[in-house]
Amino acid sequence: MFNLPTTNIGGPEVFVLEFGDIVAYFSPYTAALFVFALIFTALVIVSRPERQVDIAFGGDAYYTKEVDPNLLRFQRFMAIACGLATLGAVMTGDVFNFTLFASMVGITNIGIVAAYRNRHVLNAAFQYGIVAMLATVPLFGGAAIVLAGTGTLSMWELFGGAMAVPLIAKAFLVLGVMGEGMAPFYIAKAEITRAQGAPFILMVHVSSLLLFLRVTEIVISM
Amino acid sequence: MIEYLLFATFVGLLFHGIHRKVIARVQGRPGPPIWQEILHTLKFSFKQTWIPKTASQTLFVGIVFVAIGIWSGALFLLLSGGSILLLFAVYLLHKIVEHGMGLSTGSPYTKFGAIRSVISAASELPLLVTVVAIYFFTRSLSIADIAAYQEVNGPLLILAFPAAVAMYLVILSKMHYGPFSIIEAKEIVSGNVTEHFGVWRAGIEVAYALKTYVLLYAFVLIFIGALPLWLTLLVMLIILVSLSFVCAVTPMLSPYDTVTIQSLVTGALVIYIVILGVVMG
Repeated sequence: MFNLPTTNIGGPEVFVLEFGDIVAYFSPYTAALFVFALIFTALVIVSRPERQVDIAFGGDAYYTKEVDPNLLRFQRFMAIACGLATLGAVMTGDVFNFTLFASMVGITNIGIVAAYRNRHVLNAAFQYGIVAMLATVPLFGGAAIVLAGTGTLSMWELFGGAMAVPLIAKAFLVLGVMGEGMAPFYIAKAEITRAQGAPFILMVHVSSLLLFLRVTEIVISM
Repeated sequence: MIEYLLFATFVGLLFHGIHRKVIARVQGRPGPPIWQEILHTLKFSFKQTWIPKTASQTLFVGIVFVAIGIWSGALFLLLSGGSILLLFAVYLLHKIVEHGMGLSTGSPYTKFGAIRSVISAASELPLLVTVVAIYFFTRSLSIADIAAYQEVNGPLLILAFPAAVAMYLVILSKMHYGPFSIIEAKEIVSGNVTEHFGVWRAGIEVAYALKTYVLLYAFVLIFIGALPLWLTLLVMLIILVSLSFVCAVTPMLSPYDTVTIQSLVTGALVIYIVILGVVMG
């Protein structure tokens, strides 16, 4: 219907959803990403976290950590919000909406990590929070340069090849997503200190990875 | 499609057996018979199955189906001549599978395997650079278009040799007993798969067999072109044996060395792409 000119990148359009001048869509590529995000959002909704077995240093004793129900509730809420933001980011057809969803993913990722009451984990969350906040500058800056340079933020227009998107805008978008999606490295730091909540923490990785895959498609297509 | 899926699983498991055999022979050991991995999978299918009491049960089971699902999808993608960008996506999503598998159990060994899988995220970068390099030549990411390009211009293995080396490294980083197999290292028992027993383990073996088949098949399609099935299998076998030699003579690297080497290769390829960009416009 809209003739999305991405035949060689994400594939032809398979579904279109109009919200006024904002047109969300699925190509085979984004549909695959959407399905993956949906599966993990469903897993987050129905899963209970694991109970960690911890080994005491200097002996052969081990114990199983208990799950705090309040922590569980908050982490689950944040993980579901993260899943919804990811779903939005992979199906949107507008660069500004993509940056909004990307920054929302960053915020919810901080929430998932910061829920755990451990000094080392909170330190990791704080450091990630600073990086994520700083990354919003190139992220939204990239979208602003796209608008200033081409007069539109619609991927339908930008993917056509008729408009030259400045290279710096593409670089800023990638840099912004890298900042928002760097969470897994901080999560790894937190996990080493034995933070629990497998399904929720996994959502951080899923969202970051899907954001990265989506921005790769956007940048190559523009 | 189902019959091809079964065929790919069977060949993938057989390739795993050959991989173990070649490593053993290079190291002067007799090694197991080449059908050992097929027997393993069948054995696990009928053994008693349980889920650890400490595990996140839904995730523990669900992740096995996700693993089989994504690699079955990748196989369908190759057969239908789809986009290699989607293949790249599947490869990245496999990281989530490795990670989820390790996190879901509650065991410290699997968790360290999962953390190592995050640390070794650099192994995906050479594949992304490969995708970009191929795009420079073919101006398309469709496997069908890439195969058509090679029929006219010759194999990309020669035209884009550094990209082929990067893809080879990507496959090597996913091989068992290889220098980059830090997530399954013996100092953490079996890493992220330690707690998956019985039919869940059989499911993982099937997914990994599909993964090996898909990656080798993708290498042949992308860098050599569309060949008859028997010749494709032969070339895949030759690539596999070369990988086995590398695995047999190379010790397992430390996690940080793994990341360093993969990042250096990515850096070299980025320079190659910049040169390509300047030369080819």
